[in-house]
Amino acid sequence: MARVYQVPRHAFPWLISGALLASLPHMLRAELWLSVVVPLLLLWRIMIQRGRFAMPGKLVRGMLLLGLAGATLYSHGTLLGPDAGVTLLVAAFALKMLEMFRLRDAYVVIILAFFVLATAFLFSTGPLITIYIGLVLVLMVAALIGINHPESGVSPWRHFRLSLTMLGQAIPLMLVFFMLVPRLPPLWSLKVEQQQGKTGMSDSMAPGEISRLSRQNDLAFRVEFEGDVPPPSLRYWRGLTYGWFDGRRWSQAVPPALDRQEYVRFANGVSPQWYLQLLADRGDAAWKYRVVMERSGRQWLYAMSVPFSDKADVGLARDLRLVRRTDLEATYDYRVTSYLMPVAVEGLKDWERQFYVALPSGSSPRAAAMAQQWRDESVSDAAYANRLLRWLNEEQFYYTLEPPLLGQHTVDDFLFRTRRGFCEHYASSFAFLLRAAGIPARIVAGYQGGQLNPLGNHLQVRQYDAHVWVEAWLPEQGWVEFDPTAAVAPARIELGLEQALAGFDEQTDTGLAAVLRSNPLLTRLSHLIDYIEFGWAKWVLGYNQQNQLEFLSRWLGKVTPERMVMTLAAVGGSLMTVMLIWMLWRARRPGLKWWQREYRAMLRLMRKRGLNPPAHLPPAQVIAAAAQRYPRAAAALQDWQHCFEAAVYRPPAADPELLRRQLVVLRRKVARMSRL
Amino acid sequence: MKSLRRTVSELWHGWLQRRIPPSRQVLLDQRRIFIFPSAYGFFFLLIAVLLFVGGINYENNLLLGFSFLLVSLFLMAILHTFRNLAGLKLVAASMRPGFAGARGALEVRILSAHHAHLSIWLHWPGAPAEEVSVEPGEEKSLWLSVQLLRRGRQHPGRLRVESRYPLGLLRSWSLVDLDHTCLAWPKPLSGGECPASGGDDDTGVNHQDRGSEEFEGLRSYVAGDSLRLVDWKSYARGRGLNTKQFSDPAEGRLWLEWNRLPGHDPETRYGRLCYWVLQLDQRGERYGLRLPDGELEPGSGPLQRERALEMLALSGESG
Repeated sequence: MARVYQVPRHAFPWLISGALLASLPHMLRAELWLSVVVPLLLLWRIMIQRGRFAMPGKLVRGMLLLGLAGATLYSHGTLLGPDAGVTLLVAAFALKMLEMFRLRDAYVVIILAFFVLATAFLFSTGPLITIYIGLVLVLMVAALIGINHPESGVSPWRHFRLSLTMLGQAIPLMLVFFMLVPRLPPLWSLKVEQQQGKTGMSDSMAPGEISRLSRQNDLAFRVEFEGDVPPPSLRYWRGLTYGWFDGRRWSQAVPPALDRQEYVRFANGVSPQWYLQLLADRGDAAWKYRVVMERSGRQWLYAMSVPFSDKADVGLARDLRLVRRTDLEATYDYRVTSYLMPVAVEGLKDWERQFYVALPSGSSPRAAAMAQQWRDESVSDAAYANRLLRWLNEEQFYYTLEPPLLGQHTVDDFLFRTRRGFCEHYASSFAFLLRAAGIPARIVAGYQGGQLNPLGNHLQVRQYDAHVWVEAWLPEQGWVEFDPTAAVAPARIELGLEQALAGFDEQTDTGLAAVLRSNPLLTRLSHLIDYIEFGWAKWVLGYNQQNQLEFLSRWLGKVTPERMVMTLAAVGGSLMTVMLIWMLWRARRPGLKWWQREYRAMLRLMRKRGLNPPAHLPPAQVIAAAAQRYPRAAAALQDWQHCFEAAVYRPPAADPELLRRQLVVLRRKVARMSRL
Repeated sequence: MKSLRRTVSELWHGWLQRRIPPSRQVLLDQRRIFIFPSAYGFFFLLIAVLLFVGGINYENNLLLGFSFLLVSLFLMAILHTFRNLAGLKLVAASMRPGFAGARGALEVRILSAHHAHLSIWLHWPGAPAEEVSVEPGEEKSLWLSVQLLRRGRQHPGRLRVESRYPLGLLRSWSLVDLDHTCLAWPKPLSGGECPASGGDDDTGVNHQDRGSEEFEGLRSYVAGDSLRLVDWKSYARGRGLNTKQFSDPAEGRLWLEWNRLPGHDPETRYGRLCYWVLQLDQRGERYGLRLPDGELEPGSGPLQRERALEMLALSGESG
């Protein structure tokens, strides 16, 4: 085999530490075997560099590659797709370290490292990971500089400093690109199948499922309002509706008579009749806000009713909620204008009415009988609904996160036996009672409330704000919201989950949030972190086509592609020119000799002490003047002057390095002694 | 096709000649430096484009940002790679001749005025490259080997000064004509009789036995004396360097003569003469050289050898 390429000694530490740190986010995230294999391969490489081991032969490398591919296949079932692909990439990257026979291989390793670093962004996008990736990039660029400097005896820190300088110079240019390069829509659709499951609401609900969600502290979304923030009792974030009940489980369903094409209306699609009607009937615009939603893996977007968004990939569904065309695989940000609910002019269509009153036959007979009787006794649907709410409020119902299990007739069992439940129990029973009385009703799932962050004046809505409530169709009013949970535990709406549960002597274990809330300092800190994260989500992660257009139209007036390209060229070009001129100018300026710098440092010290020696004075006179002013420092000044003269006139015996160090020591002594 | 290529090549060289005229000393500046991405540079940009496409498709702004950072780094590398050559001063210095068909060497001095120039590669066309770095204010000298094809003064072509530092993504280079020549001695050709006259006998037989020269005594060593004539024994005894003196009858001088090699083409004649110069020098004998365009007085030692070889190298060139 040909002579093996040796990575220069001064580049190797950067290469190996950069490789390890670049793989680290993946090792922490992906399979366990990856975090064993990668360090072992890197260790092997270190041993090769030190001459302890030889480079493995072709056969060994081939077997290792097969093994890694096999392990990936075993873990993921495939070698394709981002998840398996990244695992294989990281493993192959570490293996490539054992295959550096030429300079070319070293380049390939470093460029692979850039790839490995970038793919970390597929899995996490926070500000901290971004800073981390930036730091590792400094190491990798330092390694790249090192392999381009094959001489020996070079300090590794020299590469590090240059790497920092170059990346520092590249950052302004990057920001220009970031702001000005037109954001294109995806070229082809890619499905990121992440290991993280879907979070938040699901498309159906059985008793006990929302209460499980309520134990999670994760952020669901943040909302920033234009103007006032609505009071807690109005913060109902609708996500989806459940129209189908099987006796236990409520599920999302589209009425079978409705054409699927007609169900959701997108901005660039056809507008169905109901949408046009809604546009004509809707009330005033009540709230304008921007929602920045965390990855949910679902396509539901949360907004107050009746939401309208002008984004092309956001549609309005017939049940008055926003959906996105594809699932949210990353942070997503959208603007909403919410209008007041329209007053119904027309009644429900027959098939719609039938769909929203359907109940499984024979389910919960006692509740059904009660519903019929009470409806007969009430003057109107509204009066009946209010009687139900009063009843819930007055009877001994408990609000709890740990409800007992329910039997076959879930509603009967809950209303007449256990009477301990969470919002899904109340909403489910309430909707059942409405339907049993012939009133169209559906369950709305979403979030209720949200914590105000005073720093950004935005709301944070977390998973424990998950909530379900009921909408009923009342004649001449249309869909009206009812929240049976509010009848049982009014504090839930006004004060949030914890206070509501505390009112029923319940301990919450939402953990961190409770600790945070009890300590004002920690609360402020958490607000600050939240504020930073929100800014990051808005300005960095959420800087999309729409925001870009808005931002640029402020500067450019009308934004056309030509204008964008021209601006990009002009700003980028002038930035490059400025840097070039600066670099050449700096190059032209002759460097100061070290003793000249030392003299300048001394003059600075004098000036700091209030002595202003005229520029034309020779050093000896400056020192003499200083010695007169500070007699205590006179001896040190004298010594300094001797050393300085020795440095300038360089007698043959003088060791410049020794002189330089002595001068610094003496100058510090002068500084100490001249302090009054 | 071929003529087209020749035309392009002529145009290129003509342009280069006007752009960077020959000079014993050249300061590299923006007029003299070319810069172009290397293969790795294109690979690097390809990766940036892939990340950009990935960022667009996954709607991931950080991926996009990373790709923009790589592109910006590339653009900064243009400036840095250029700067690494800019301000470098190259000076033609001395020369080490060689025989035709072998290699000679030329000395180039490299000076940095203001900032460091790192990992600079220098080479003449067809010769292996040498790497050098100079720190601010430093001056380095580099011997670069030159392939000598034929006898005479050789112009090695334009010196290629190249650097990929710091990132290897770009190559900045200059083609400098340092107006530097390397001397090529004739290639020694053995065989035949010694083309000499004026020895002990006019037959020109070489002196196998040195009995004809009588030992006269010692004189102190003078630079240029043949080391073969140094009395090493006395030197070992600590009496200093002394050169042995032999009696040297006037007619005992060996004249190596061009005219004594009739029937050969000129280059063969030079080759033969060269061979004998080396032979006689090795034996420490005195010899002179007679060429159509000049004559070298008899003598011996390295200096004589140097002069003889130079004469042989340059003979027939000017006239």
